[in-house]
Parts: sequence; structure tokens; C-alpha cells
Amino acid sequence: MSLRCLVLRRRFLPYQEGGLGPGQAGRLEKHLTGCADCADRMARLRAGHEAGRLFGRLAPDLPGRLPELADLRGSRPPARALSPALAAGALLAVAAGLAMIFVITGPGAARAGRGFARTTIAEFPERLRGRVVTEGFVQDVYYDGEERTLHIKLAEGPSEAGPFVICEVRDASGLTIPQRGSRIRVYGQARFDAQPGRGWHEVNPVMEIAVLNR
Amino acid sequence: MSFNGDYSDAVPPEYSSEETLAAIAPEDRERTLVTAARRGDEAAAREIYRSCRGPILSLIVSLVGDPLQAQDILQVVFFKAFRGLPGFRFRSSLLTWIYRIARNECRNHLKRCGVPALPLDDILGSRYEADGPCGPDAGCARAEAVKRAVRQLPFKMREVIVLRYQQDLSYDEMSRVLRCPQGTVASRLNRALTELGSRLHPDGGRR
Repeated sequence: MSLRCLVLRRRFLPYQEGGLGPGQAGRLEKHLTGCADCADRMARLRAGHEAGRLFGRLAPDLPGRLPELADLRGSRPPARALSPALAAGALLAVAAGLAMIFVITGPGAARAGRGFARTTIAEFPERLRGRVVTEGFVQDVYYDGEERTLHIKLAEGPSEAGPFVICEVRDASGLTIPQRGSRIRVYGQARFDAQPGRGWHEVNPVMEIAVLNR
Repeated sequence: MSFNGDYSDAVPPEYSSEETLAAIAPEDRERTLVTAARRGDEAAAREIYRSCRGPILSLIVSLVGDPLQAQDILQVVFFKAFRGLPGFRFRSSLLTWIYRIARNECRNHLKRCGVPALPLDDILGSRYEADGPCGPDAGCARAEAVKRAVRQLPFKMREVIVLRYQQDLSYDEMSRVLRCPQGTVASRLNRALTELGSRLHPDGGRR
């Protein structure tokens, strides 16, 4: 097989799909008349392409009725078809149900204790890194339109001065923006922002927010 | 940093009713639905599921072979999709994103279970009429032969054929689902079709 064969074989599929110009197609056809290996390969590819097109027109062997969302939440998966691991995953899916779908606005309790260290705002100086879950009152909210990030100033009380953390949400689309004065629970990564003029503790990025009261 | 900024930009478009949805462009409609589902709107979640379940289930059936197993996998796929919805960045269509979850779930399932479920005919190696006249009729011998041959391909070959011919994905969409460059998708499809043609026509497929 020559280098020319190698190069031209890359054009077999575009040729079958009608994606080659007349010049390229003509040169390829000329090559095929003189190269038995390439002609054989092209014949196999053509057979596969035609089989693929037929396959695409065939209806897949779907079950008689497509399951509804409620079926997924409420039904027990058929034990016959499941491996133990998949069965466990599927049952978990049913058990978790909507609570996990609506994770942003829900109470968020499901995530607590799963790799997130409970930390009060005052304890942040002792926890410079790692995943944390913390609660507090929203003292201020700022959306940075250029960076498309949402910043929430979280403190122990709704208005008093004292320790605070800045919670940075990197993708705020779809998030229910917490109101000033509301109490929220935040899950995310603890950091310390040492840039000049800042010097504050952060939860960045925020992975989840649960509004406890408005 | 000031905390007096205007954050009204952060508020996503409102999803309110079917009438509103019908009036907006498909991309905006999808964004609105996703945003609403993230907020906890059950009707939006149901609409996402209703519009995606058909193609996703047919993909899963084609990749794992067994409709019953496929339903279980569908359950896990949508569980993961809804759980991961807050992380969906609209870099592809929602369906393409769920295709990717489904494809990964099928691959993991087959890794755990070994091989796709094969009908008895496949195991016994019944005869087929690869050159007979045939339309898109599941009872046709050639159609059965093609389905069987696709089912028996290695996973990486099977998935590109299913995505391209059954799900009608473009090379760009396939590259997003498979997370590889379009050139890789094309060469993988080239190899898969050549292999499929060889299996259906061991004599070389010349006419």
C-alpha cells in the first residue's frame, strides 16, 4: 500500500457521503480502477455505509410504551435485567427523586456531611482550604455582569458587623437569587483571597445554595 | 469590591406556560426550560424528559441490546442528567449533553456486564440474506442481519454508527458526545463501516 493509498482512503467516507468535489471524486475513482486493495476496501465501506443507512431507517426495539417521568420515580426496576450495582443506583435514583432534581432551591440537607465540613463563619480562619458547608445571613449581593459571577456577602447576623465570608457563584443562571436578610446554607470550596484590598475568606466556587428562610 | 451592583442580569428568563414556550425560539425555549427546571419547576422537568426520552432510549437500546436493561439505564441517565442540570453550560444542545451521559452510562454498564445482550439468533448464528430486497421493515431478513451485525460490533464502532445513522447526529455533534475531534470521529466511523461491510459481505461486498 502506497502513501497515496493511505491519503486517499481518508476520502472514502466523504466520497460515499457525497462530500467530495468533482475533481477529488474523479481522481479517487481513477485510483480505484488501478488499485485492487483500495477498490476492495471501498466496496466494504460502501456495503457498511448502505447497511448503516438501512439501520438508521429501522425502528429500534423499544418497549411498547415509553416510560413517563413518574414511572421512573415510582417504579421498581426489573430485577432480572439489573446488575447489583445498577440496581442500587436505580433504587437510589427513585428514592432521591425530585429532591435531587430541585437541589438548588431545596433544603440541601442531602449534601450535608458528605465531604463538606460544617464550618461557622467565625471558624473560617481555621479552615483555609477544603469543602465546607456554612450557614449565615445574606448581607449583600452583587452580580458581576462581565465575569458573570454572583457574589454574596454572608455573615453571622443580618446586619451587624463582624466576621463574614464572600460566596462566589460562577454560573448564576438558573439560581434563585437569595434576598438580603435571608438565611442560607452554602456548600463549596473554602479559600482565602489574599489580593490587596481584599483579605477575606471565601466560599469559591459555590456548589450549592439552600435558602433556609426568606 | 463594591456590593452595591445591579444583579438583575442574573435573573433568567421566566418560564410560565405552554403558550409562552411555543412563542419563543427553540434555543431560547431550551434555555428557558433548563433554567426553570433548575429552579424546581416540575412541569419544565417533565417537558425536558418528554422531549428527550425517545431518542435517548433508542440510543441506549441500540448500544446495550436489551430493552428491559435499557429502561433501567434510562432511569439512571435522567437521574444523573437532572442532578447535573445546574452544571449544564449550554455549550451544546441539552439533548447532545444527555446523549453523552447515556453513552457513558451504556459503556459503564457493558464494562460491568461484559457484552451487550444478544438475541438467541445472534448466538446460534442463523443464516441471513444480506443481499435480498429490503425496506425499513424489521421483519426483513436483511434488516435483521444488519441489526445483528451492528449489535456485534465492538462498542466504539457500534456507537459511531448508532449516533450517525440512527440518531442522525452531525460530525460536530458526535465529536461533542464522544469528546474527540471531528477527524477522529470520521476515521472511527470509516473503520466501523468497513468492518460492518466486511461482516455482512465476507466476500468483499463487490457487486
